[in-house]
Amino acid sequence: MRRLVAVALLVALGASAWAAGLGSASEKRAAATTTVTISNEQGTTWTCGFNPFNGGTVPLSFGTVYEPLTFSDPLKSGATTNWLASAYAWSNHNRTLTFTIRSGVKWTDGKPFSAKDVLFTFNMIKANPALDLNGVWSVLKSVSANGNKVTFAFKTSAVPYFYNIADKTPIVAQHVWSSVGNPVTYKDSSPIGTGAFTMSSCSPQVIKYQKNPAYWQKGLPKIDTVYYPAYTSNDPANQDLASGKAQWGSQFIPNINAFYLSKSKDNHYWFPPVANVSIFVNLKDPILSNVAVRRAMAYAIDKRRVSQIGEYGYEPPANQTGIVTPTFASWLNPKLAKQVTYNPAKAIAILKAAGFKMKGGVFQTPQGKSLSFTMINIGGYSDWVASAQLVAQQLKAVGIKITAENLSQTTYNNDTYTGKYQLSYNGNEPPGPAPYYELREILYSKNSAPIGTIAPSNWERYSNPAVDTLIDAYGATTSASVQHGIIDKLAAAMVRDVPVIPVTEGVDWYQYNTKSLAGWVTQQNPYARPAAYENPDWGVVLLHLKPKG
Amino acid sequence: MRFVFRRLGFFLLTLWVAVTLNFLIPRLMPGNAAVSMMARYKGRVSPDALHALEIAFGVNHHQSLVSAYFTYLWNIARLHLGISLTFFPDAVTHEVGQALPWTLGLIGVTTILAFVLGTFIGLLAAWRRGGLLDGVFPPIFIITSAFPYFWFALLAIWLFAIKLGWLPQSGGYDYTTDVGWSWGFAEDVVRHSILPAFTILVTSIGIWILTMRNNTISVLAEDYVRMARAKGLSPWRIMWTYAGRNAILPSLTGFAMSLGFVVGGAILVEYVFNYPGVGWMFLQSVENQDYALMQGLFLMITVAVLLAILAADGATAVLDPRTRDRR
Repeated sequence: MRRLVAVALLVALGASAWAAGLGSASEKRAAATTTVTISNEQGTTWTCGFNPFNGGTVPLSFGTVYEPLTFSDPLKSGATTNWLASAYAWSNHNRTLTFTIRSGVKWTDGKPFSAKDVLFTFNMIKANPALDLNGVWSVLKSVSANGNKVTFAFKTSAVPYFYNIADKTPIVAQHVWSSVGNPVTYKDSSPIGTGAFTMSSCSPQVIKYQKNPAYWQKGLPKIDTVYYPAYTSNDPANQDLASGKAQWGSQFIPNINAFYLSKSKDNHYWFPPVANVSIFVNLKDPILSNVAVRRAMAYAIDKRRVSQIGEYGYEPPANQTGIVTPTFASWLNPKLAKQVTYNPAKAIAILKAAGFKMKGGVFQTPQGKSLSFTMINIGGYSDWVASAQLVAQQLKAVGIKITAENLSQTTYNNDTYTGKYQLSYNGNEPPGPAPYYELREILYSKNSAPIGTIAPSNWERYSNPAVDTLIDAYGATTSASVQHGIIDKLAAAMVRDVPVIPVTEGVDWYQYNTKSLAGWVTQQNPYARPAAYENPDWGVVLLHLKPKG
Repeated sequence: MRFVFRRLGFFLLTLWVAVTLNFLIPRLMPGNAAVSMMARYKGRVSPDALHALEIAFGVNHHQSLVSAYFTYLWNIARLHLGISLTFFPDAVTHEVGQALPWTLGLIGVTTILAFVLGTFIGLLAAWRRGGLLDGVFPPIFIITSAFPYFWFALLAIWLFAIKLGWLPQSGGYDYTTDVGWSWGFAEDVVRHSILPAFTILVTSIGIWILTMRNNTISVLAEDYVRMARAKGLSPWRIMWTYAGRNAILPSLTGFAMSLGFVVGGAILVEYVFNYPGVGWMFLQSVENQDYALMQGLFLMITVAVLLAILAADGATAVLDPRTRDRR
């Protein structure tokens, strides 16, 4: 026995010495250049395609390699910086938009960039509706170019689509894409863009970007190399952040103080709120279509508690207007926001006044049906599961019974989009550069569909002609005061009709390390959305980064 | 000869049934690929993208089930497995081809290693029953086999990668290494595979040890072993050609099956170690309703398992004359 133990010890020692030896050998590759490593669990390995019109690959090329006409900062209510366009102007009652195209910009293959490339990009999208990820041709009539000017003619006034056209559409090179057979299935393995970086190598596990030395913004970028490893699960990605191997993180980290902040004084995080995580209420349900039930639910939920316990305090509590604060605080009418607060007694009073009767701890309709609903949720999101559990407890306290159903992402999405649910705990509405975008997604009847058919974003199936008129009117104006007036009325509709119940505010996940890099997005200087999956914002962040000192 | 034909015929029939089920089962799932893809984007693209995706994926292009079935058979015959929606617009064969070497390298090698080591230890343990080897290895490895894999793997990562820092904690190779046929890259790949290989080995070897040990013990009680001893054959020869050859038969089929399943990858291993294999790809294909990828992977596994069973049948026939056809 003793001999065996000795042999085992020797083997173990030998193996560890060998492993340790290997370790020191590979650590000799010291970085002489400034590099940034992104740790963002995308749940996929890379295809090494960079087609910026493919929803799966657009976050990998748009912002770094490909660029927009202008950049709107969603954290500053859409404050616009000119980019590939040097100026823009609205005319013809906000039905014509003209961009002046910047001169002196070159594609990374050395050919000059011009207005013809912009014209080509938009006409290619028109010819291939599968490329139209931002629906620009749902509002455009035609695009034309003249010298260094590109003019967009609109079918209807659609001022908010400025964001879709100028910020969200990547401009590609005519001399490259005109010879592409089918741009929808084109892989674009070695993308030619105007951006600050070129894609220098790619494998399914990591993409490497190198600085473009001939970039049109002189002296930029200040970092040389960007590594973007593929993480298929959260833990390894979080581990690389905690160890400092990766400097820029964009994911949920449970217990972030102990796991990340305490590891280094250079580790920081900021989670700016951008959209709501809400309970979508199926308005076609015979009982839930009664506004009293929805209002009672809104009063019965203690959003602060859900935020603190269910979301570790990362996601702040939301308010019933659907306007995310502090990001869009300048749009919020504080009176409206305070109208619905946590008040279980009031919830019970509302139900009683509406003729419901308590029986065995659960309210019943005058017809004798219990207020008992199922709430669907994504089982894989542990924070949502915890939050939904809290919501269920709080609603039970006012006599509304909730059964939580934790589904797979696919089933959940399918049920939500087709309206086959009663309540859906949901934070999947894409945020925009102003509260209008999310409110339009939720409230506009054109984003709805009959039960059984897929609705793009109005999953609760709200329809109100007066609200539709307001949304259309917003699209026809560039006046800030008119826009604020309309948002006030939309927020009032949210409070009055309770089509959805915002619970917490969804955030951009963002962790950063300041050991060797400066220029990060901070709460004091929110120059772009800081999550690495946000495009084109991540390209703007990389342009601001610089070596420390 | 008849044996070979019968086996081949059975193989083809099973293959057809499997291929047909492979076609039908994914289509019984509810949902739509474009919506699943929106789920994957987690609200990071505009709602207008849904419409664009439906066009790109041809979601509303309905084809009758029968004609889809024949197109499917014809495509399989030509090895056209279609375009993956998860990895749009890449071909399924291309994506699987990229992930498969990692899986074969890691899971394949460890499966063979576990079988060879386990069988050898089991044989020795049974031969020297009650000895030192028998007293130590079987109990230890039976306990480790009962570990939940992910728990053990996380523990190993915590100890060897995080606390001691000897080995990398995840990935197939370090991203700063240049990929290519060089020693530096090979060394890096091996270094990254040590921890996952070790955890798989420790949690899977027990079953082989136990099976082999128990089989050998019962074989050792057989008359022909006693006969061999009486004839004065060398213990070494008795152990290998008399006891070992017979005792390995039941393990062989199990080994063939697990070899066949190697191409299916190991989801937990790949998940915990962020290892770029096929198992995780499988999970993705199901989550994204990526029929083409799903069918391609199922097809590969089916064929691999059937081939492995065919090979095991052949091997059994060689080792054990009783299983051959009687005339």
